[in-house]
Amino acid sequence: MSMLFAGRAVGATASQPNLLQKLLRAVLTHVRQAVTSLGELWRSPLWALITVAVLGISMTLPTTLHLLVKNVQQVSRSYDQSFEISLFLKNDASATDIATLVTLLQGDNQVAKVRLIDKAAAMAEFKQQSGFGEALAFLDQNPLPDVLLVTPKLNQPAAAEALMHKLEKERFVELAKLDISWLERLAALMNLMQQAVYTIAVLLLSAALLVIGNTIRLSIMDKKAEIEVMKLVGATDAFIQRPFLYTGIWLGVFGGFLAFVVVELMLWWLQGAIATVTQLYQSDFVLRSLSLHEFAYLMLIAVSLGLVGSYIAVRSHIKAIEP
Amino acid sequence: MLRFEQVSKGYSGGFVALDRVSFELAKGEMAFLTGHSGAGKSTLLKLISLIERPSAGKVFINGVDLSAVKARQIPYVRRDVGMIFQDHRLLMNHSVFDNVALPLVIEGFTGREMAKRVHAALDQVGLLDKARCLPATLSGGEAQRVGIARAVVNKPPLLLADEPTGNLDPDLSKDIMRVFEAFNQAGVSVLVASHDLGLIARMRYRTMTLKGGKMINDGLTHQEDGE
Repeated sequence: MSMLFAGRAVGATASQPNLLQKLLRAVLTHVRQAVTSLGELWRSPLWALITVAVLGISMTLPTTLHLLVKNVQQVSRSYDQSFEISLFLKNDASATDIATLVTLLQGDNQVAKVRLIDKAAAMAEFKQQSGFGEALAFLDQNPLPDVLLVTPKLNQPAAAEALMHKLEKERFVELAKLDISWLERLAALMNLMQQAVYTIAVLLLSAALLVIGNTIRLSIMDKKAEIEVMKLVGATDAFIQRPFLYTGIWLGVFGGFLAFVVVELMLWWLQGAIATVTQLYQSDFVLRSLSLHEFAYLMLIAVSLGLVGSYIAVRSHIKAIEP
Repeated sequence: MLRFEQVSKGYSGGFVALDRVSFELAKGEMAFLTGHSGAGKSTLLKLISLIERPSAGKVFINGVDLSAVKARQIPYVRRDVGMIFQDHRLLMNHSVFDNVALPLVIEGFTGREMAKRVHAALDQVGLLDKARCLPATLSGGEAQRVGIARAVVNKPPLLLADEPTGNLDPDLSKDIMRVFEAFNQAGVSVLVASHDLGLIARMRYRTMTLKGGKMINDGLTHQEDGE
């Protein structure tokens, strides 16, 4: 409807479309503007390339660090699962006492698994692994205690420690042992690394945001005359700024994808070196790359950066251009 | 259709571009606005299209007080007023068709309906065969006619032209004025600012003369003090 002339049918509303047609038209307009923005990027590829490169590289570093943290976590988690409390039993515990204790522990709801390594078995294992072999045969009696290996239900250092203190007080238990301090240190270190990753990410992405904003600003300045004409023939600010916002989104899409490609290339490059290391350690470690979920996050962040960066530029500069 | 009530426009520094100007343009009327450069013609047109706001007085279009129009409503006012500029203000890297289609695209037209209207507007100014050309390949007169087609493509009830023949030779100027006449005969109110006195005199329409920001003559013929 016209502002000044009541009853004057204006624009596409003149044909009185229904809701579905209106929606379809709106979508069509958006698609058209998005494609136009893409075309414009294509026609002026140099500045677009530079901006995409800045965004891509800014996102590559945090992504790589994130992958590093993730892979280290994966390694440490495999150790987490080997939380085991060793209970060294007193020498005077009889076989019946031990069996009672095992039954008791198996009934405990904090305990997942109990395994008994009796003196003889421990000796056999020790003989085999230590290499002393024959020398041990000269011992009069077996000096090794019976050992119970208790696996806690909760795979957390704190829970395991609490359980250890509880089990220590059991009768026939001489000594309880749980080596978790290095795991705690590793966890703290990893936490530190994660915080560092976030800080670096925030800094780099703010820089990328500014670069995108500046790119869009230049593109607005470049089109000053065109924007003036559009305002003169009745374009709203929203209509004028939409192509620039789409440009921002496209920059984000390409920047995010570039980061993804660079990270994948880097992983591919490192794969050989890592395979050598893991082979030497006889570990079955597999380098994890970005999951689909993480890739979606990467793209989402990149697109949001593009959109926000261009929105900042658009807001301040399009209003300023008046015919 | 268009009414000025004691409108003044001053700029910082004390320069007065318009001084208590009052006039009324009836629906379907065509009139010329004339005077030397700097007399206030452009300022007057800018007040109608809300590029500028008056320092005092009121401007009405179809009874609507423009001082009540908020900044975010300005685009919608401009859709009701067709504007033509001396330098035609075409988008140089878009085809003639795209230039004329711009107001329609802004209003949400698409596809066949849009093409139909653009072709109708280009036909009215006699440039149907140039739809695919770039503005740079057009002559001055043709470019100006593209500007007119863009101004009328969404059929505004009021048409403003600021020195539309300023850069054209007399024959082309006459052609352009004939195009305005044709739209006026179709019921559109037309206000043309021009200093081409010879041409205006031959056309015999209502002529308003500005001098130093004051309306000094409003009648069928052009008269200026001291001449």
